[in-house]
Amino acid sequence: MRQGFNRETMGMFKTLMLATALTVAVASGAQAACAFRNETPIRMLAASFPAWKAATDAMAECGNFQAELDLQFRDKQPAAMAAQPARYHIAGLAVNSLVPLLDQGTVRPLDDLVAKYGKDLLPNQLIRIDGKVMAIAILVNAQHLMYREDIYKQLGLSEPKTYDELLTQLETIKKSGLVQYPLGGTYRAGWDLATEFVNLYFGYGGAFIGAGNVPTVNNTSGQRTLEMMKKLTAYMDPEYLASDAPYVAKQFQQGKIAVSNLWATRAGAMDDPKESTVVGKVVMAAAPAAVPGGKPATTIWWDGFAIAKNIPDAEADTAFRVALEGIDGEMVRANNDLAVWLSKDYKPGRAARGAAESAQGGATPYPATTAMGLMQTALAQNLPGFFTGAQTAEQTLARIEAAYTTAARERGLLR
Amino acid sequence: MTVRAFRLSPGLKVASGLFLVVWSVIAAFPLVWTALMSFRLPLDALSSDPMAVILGPVTLARAGGVSVVDLVAVAVAAIAAWWLPARHGAAGARLLAVGGMEPLGWVLAALLYAVALGIVGLLVLPPLVGLVETIVGVLPLVGGLAPPVVGFTGEHYEAVWIARGFHKEFVNSITLTVGVVVVSLSVGTLAGYGLARARTPIAFWILVTALIFRALPHSVLVAGYLPPFLNSHEILQPLWEMPVLGPVLGLFSDTAPTLYGQPWAVVLVLVAINQPFTIWMLRSFFLSVPTELDEAARVDGCSQFGAFWRVIVPVMWPGVITTGLFSFLLAYNDYLVTSLLLDQANKTMVPAISQFLGSDNTTTDQIQAVAAAVSVTAPLFLLVMVFQRQIVSGLTLGAVKG
Amino acid sequence: MKTRTLLWFVAPSVALMLVFIALPLASVFWQSFFVTRTLFQEVTVESCQPGFLTQTCTTELRSQPILRDGKPVTERVFVGWENYRLVMRPDALVAAFSPGGGGWADVRQIDFWRALRFTLTFTLVTLPLVIGLGLVIALALNTAIASLRGPIIFVSLLPFIITPVVGALSIRWLFIGDGILTAALRWLTGENVIMFAQGWTIEVLLLTYRVWHVAPFAFIVFYAALQTVNQDTLESAVVDGASRFERLRYVILPHLAPFMVFVALIHLMDAYRVFDEIVGFSAQAHHISLQWLTYSLLMPDGSGSRAIGRASASSMLTMIGIVALLIPLLVRTWRDHHQKG
Repeated sequence: MRQGFNRETMGMFKTLMLATALTVAVASGAQAACAFRNETPIRMLAASFPAWKAATDAMAECGNFQAELDLQFRDKQPAAMAAQPARYHIAGLAVNSLVPLLDQGTVRPLDDLVAKYGKDLLPNQLIRIDGKVMAIAILVNAQHLMYREDIYKQLGLSEPKTYDELLTQLETIKKSGLVQYPLGGTYRAGWDLATEFVNLYFGYGGAFIGAGNVPTVNNTSGQRTLEMMKKLTAYMDPEYLASDAPYVAKQFQQGKIAVSNLWATRAGAMDDPKESTVVGKVVMAAAPAAVPGGKPATTIWWDGFAIAKNIPDAEADTAFRVALEGIDGEMVRANNDLAVWLSKDYKPGRAARGAAESAQGGATPYPATTAMGLMQTALAQNLPGFFTGAQTAEQTLARIEAAYTTAARERGLLR
Repeated sequence: MTVRAFRLSPGLKVASGLFLVVWSVIAAFPLVWTALMSFRLPLDALSSDPMAVILGPVTLARAGGVSVVDLVAVAVAAIAAWWLPARHGAAGARLLAVGGMEPLGWVLAALLYAVALGIVGLLVLPPLVGLVETIVGVLPLVGGLAPPVVGFTGEHYEAVWIARGFHKEFVNSITLTVGVVVVSLSVGTLAGYGLARARTPIAFWILVTALIFRALPHSVLVAGYLPPFLNSHEILQPLWEMPVLGPVLGLFSDTAPTLYGQPWAVVLVLVAINQPFTIWMLRSFFLSVPTELDEAARVDGCSQFGAFWRVIVPVMWPGVITTGLFSFLLAYNDYLVTSLLLDQANKTMVPAISQFLGSDNTTTDQIQAVAAAVSVTAPLFLLVMVFQRQIVSGLTLGAVKG
Repeated sequence: MKTRTLLWFVAPSVALMLVFIALPLASVFWQSFFVTRTLFQEVTVESCQPGFLTQTCTTELRSQPILRDGKPVTERVFVGWENYRLVMRPDALVAAFSPGGGGWADVRQIDFWRALRFTLTFTLVTLPLVIGLGLVIALALNTAIASLRGPIIFVSLLPFIITPVVGALSIRWLFIGDGILTAALRWLTGENVIMFAQGWTIEVLLLTYRVWHVAPFAFIVFYAALQTVNQDTLESAVVDGASRFERLRYVILPHLAPFMVFVALIHLMDAYRVFDEIVGFSAQAHHISLQWLTYSLLMPDGSGSRAIGRASASSMLTMIGIVALLIPLLVRTWRDHHQKG
């Protein structure tokens, strides 16, 4: 306790003092590092992960700003943005959560504001729909390959370029007994599993939606995708249907797995000495291709923000300025390895290699459409049955198409 | 109790004792283990080796630890913390019962106890133990008891309560819970009493409807609330513009309110969801209160409400406290309603914890979530410690007879 | 008490229940017969998305909602029993049992029947376990030394008072991966048990967790009831030479009967709407419950819309199920009420 508790208590007091001082500072309006002093209360709703935490903390420096970081933000956002006036000025979103807001018409075009304040924005940050800027991207994200360099060297393996190559390597790793499970997969039943399917299916050259919004997933690409996923599961923790990204990252950090196809926003944590036993041993690389010579079998995502339509123009103006403060150079420099930021101040480090190579290799951007949203949900609900053995590949694909058709009819996409 | 009928043969006695021991371990183990994890660094806490979690070697090396002396001190303090309210709680409550209101005495005693526990645990105990440790450390034979042997860190609690501002959520939770308990009991005692004394079929149908309402899946209701709560300003505005009602409502707020994010609106929702259980419990309790009591008061010229107020209120507390505890649990533990209908400014603890457990977080965040989870449980511990006898006696008095 | 007086007493309570329970329920019933569709149009749109350094712009045919006054144009269509049909799938049910069909195996492929199967198993299996365990703890405690009773009651109540989110979390961490209890099981059985890898172990875990969580409630109710057993009757039973089992069977259990009905009633209702555990243990790949089905239909899908029609149908069906389960207990309540009235 001399070393433990007393030091803790002292530390606690210090932090308490600091917190009090900070509160006073904010209350008296002494903002740090914000180009202007904000007088209008601005509210924001975004997903909860470290990159958003860093960005919203930087926005809060302007004062009068309140961010709600919520994992279930997708459940709340459409209704909250449609309220009159909108519940939030700024909507933090990912590529697929912009679609509902566009469909409802609850976010405003940003061209005027970009012209006024956006001189520091990179051209590829502007998300244009039908020629109008509807959102600003702040980071790109993708699932890409991460592997243990030490194990690969020890076994004389080289970076896998295709999934078939990876499979033979996994067999070698399994036989060596160096790790508990060779492969880690974010195969949690639901959204995670669906996203893994989307990644591979694009790798096999499949398309989800055909003309007239009919589903086109029940084909050989779909079957090959399911077969490959099933083969991969043989090298995973048998509890893969309950494994999400934090769980796989944790297994990686504890040295229990050797390879994984994991999100770029997780790369930084591998080198965190406080949590990881594999510091400096994990190498990031492009996602393997599904077919020889093919593009990396992954999808490129972005996170960004949009501004509500149901608010006065003056508030939208302020909200946009506050949001830009969240991605200023100072924030990016301070949190460089937290994500692949879209900013001229971003220095791509070791952790960014996987995402960068996947993108340059021609990986498909995630297709953000209403129909794809329905498809993603149909996949999420019906894929698990294949992996529990309840259905065959053909039955699964047929069920996915049926579920999509039901939802699309109700939505009005299919007549 | 020396009832012959309950006396056991030696064999049965051993078996029953053994069973109780096993059950106690099963009941307490997950929570004890979780609490243990919250004091370790992630590398220890999430280790698959149980001894790593128990002893915390990495934590000991990097963040310090506690000695045998500390562990003994904590054990003694824990036993004292248990013994005090169990032995003197009732006397303390009677002492603090301002104006003869026993429940008020209990609430005050519980608050006082919580504050005292906090002061002793955080401010008095650490320096005291540090002193003992120094003395023991220089003594020849027992010197080995002083250096740290088990890893220990309070950094996750520090991060949760100070850096992440969990105290705000704590205050929100307590405010909301107290609101629900008070409103729920005020409304529920009236209804429970009325239903216990009524002899019309209407009473039966109200009770059965309430029973069916209690069986409803909450997700159905909660999803129904979201759109009207967000748009309540537009929906309710016509009421504010009505000739007679408008000015009356205008006394409460100038325009129609947006219910979303309003704690009082969530209080009403939770009270409504909890109402079926409350009125059933209290009705059963009032059935066990002799009718002669209020009939005598009626004969003396009291109205029905007067009889209720003068005769029934003074004797109803055991049943009300037990029912109140169930309301407390429901409101304090609620996730579905609070996570969907409250926003950041008045978020309560339980949704905050599941936010910690987000899909994109580090292992440090996960252990912080564990620390937050343990923190959430602490007030419930306290509650049961103080009110344990009340629960049993409240239930004994017939609050649950079908 | 006069009816009018009664109404005054219950008015606030009934008003709250009407506004916050009956009203949403009525709207759910109404909505289960409708579907709200958005009107879409096909437009050629150029959209640009960021890559790592470059931007990908594509021109494609997109279905976009028709907006009028900035809001999408929707139509509300009466569909009759269509939503119920989509949830219950009578066609697939008939196909499963007609020649060449897969029988029960096929029925369990349909979400609603799968959910119903699990929910009923969950409810009916945990019920006797909860009552039995609660009773045994109460009887054992009643014979324990008085000074130990307080601490044991306290410890026993812990699983019940614990916040469900926290409880599910701690249990999950004890079992998932190389969780401490999985390791213990492995050591005890000598087999490589992996709890979250197959359906039946998850089901066992879900049931065990619920029994652990609720048995203390049964226990405390029974323990309180044991304090009011008529001691004279017990004493005279001893004098008459009744064995321990006979005393339990003919004196104690009849006294506890109404309390058992109470616990059963509460447990049936709570277990039938099981939901937290499915989410907490991420069991949805293997087992889903009726409330989980409703919830998953209600949550916005990838396109931001909620299947309100089907969700309403599913929740009406859930309600019918629970009322059917409660009927025996309701009839008993009706008889009691008549006797008292």
